[in-house]
Amino acid sequence: MQNTFPSWVKKRLISNEDFFAMKRLLSEYSINTVCESGLCPNICECFSRKFATFLILGRICTRACGFCSVKPSAHSGLTLNAAAEWVKKDMPGTVDPEEPGRISDFVKRLNLKYVIITSVTRDDLRDGGASQFVKVVEAVRCISKGVKVEILVPDFGGRRESIEKVLGIRPDIFSHNIETVRRLYPVARSGAGYERSLDLLKTAKDMDSGQLTKSSLMVGLGETGEEILDTIEDLKAAGCDILTIGQYLRPGKDSLDIERFASPEEFERYKTAGEAMGFKFVSSGPYVRSSYLADEIYYKGEERSYERCCAAAIG
Amino acid sequence: MKDVVLPPLAEGIDKANVTYWHHKVNDFVKEGEDLVELVTDKASFNLPAPISGILKEILLSEGNEVKVGQALARIE
Repeated sequence: MQNTFPSWVKKRLISNEDFFAMKRLLSEYSINTVCESGLCPNICECFSRKFATFLILGRICTRACGFCSVKPSAHSGLTLNAAAEWVKKDMPGTVDPEEPGRISDFVKRLNLKYVIITSVTRDDLRDGGASQFVKVVEAVRCISKGVKVEILVPDFGGRRESIEKVLGIRPDIFSHNIETVRRLYPVARSGAGYERSLDLLKTAKDMDSGQLTKSSLMVGLGETGEEILDTIEDLKAAGCDILTIGQYLRPGKDSLDIERFASPEEFERYKTAGEAMGFKFVSSGPYVRSSYLADEIYYKGEERSYERCCAAAIG
Repeated sequence: MKDVVLPPLAEGIDKANVTYWHHKVNDFVKEGEDLVELVTDKASFNLPAPISGILKEILLSEGNEVKVGQALARIE
């Protein structure tokens, strides 16, 4: 175990009855969360406030990113055709037709107002799982009027039809994580593409300029501060509205090493830089994660747009 | 008397190491105040005191491993 965490990278472990109740209920409904699969250090805090990010399409990922603890399939990194071959053997699991219903029942049961849906990458599926995203979001909206839904999608192998399909449901936030800087893609995000991820965000804006988009970036994988700023600029150029930046924490011995811990001041600099570039909202800090306090970020982003609209109208 | 127990952290993480006690035996501790610092493979945590009272016993000193559900200390 790594024993050298700086003083600002210490999370308070709050576990109350709400936390345990949330954990039990998720298990009762057989719902996976990235909070658990990703070993998120914020889990106690978020579960205690009845907040979770649902992980759909199974628990096995067809990619094997160097920073992630979601279980990769033994065949991660195969070509689409080869992946289709082994999926016949039921490796990452067939798409579960009951999943949308279970998630919407859960949302209803807890009367959740803000829901985040994400998934493992499913390169083995023809549409990358896009139609399951659609079914889950539709089920949630159908059962729970007025609920806000954020989707955090994989890159769908860059397949345009899949991207259009998920954008067609008009999520309240369309999120896709750039994760790291361009140079580190080969080591950290094997099978993904920096430009492909930027294009995904850009497509969302091109299709509908009113679509709120969001992306997340980790610090500590070996990138320089300059590279972080370049990435923030690239995200802005892709029309991204909301940006979250956090410290990379190694989920296990087989994952990439933590190259450095960014100081709270460095995180603050990125926030200032991002806001100066015109992002609607930037959340930056050691324990910031893509979905951390996502509901608050959404409302702050909305407020900011509203203020800007008013300011523009006044002139 | 209440045991201070390591709660479940996340799937696949079933233990942590005790790295630092913020209090000594016989100290008065306040509910919600940081009691002990722990480290897992992924992160470092502070576990707050579950109740206010006197820290009667430290069951696992610094450097020891604690499993989820195991008691670390007793507060009375």
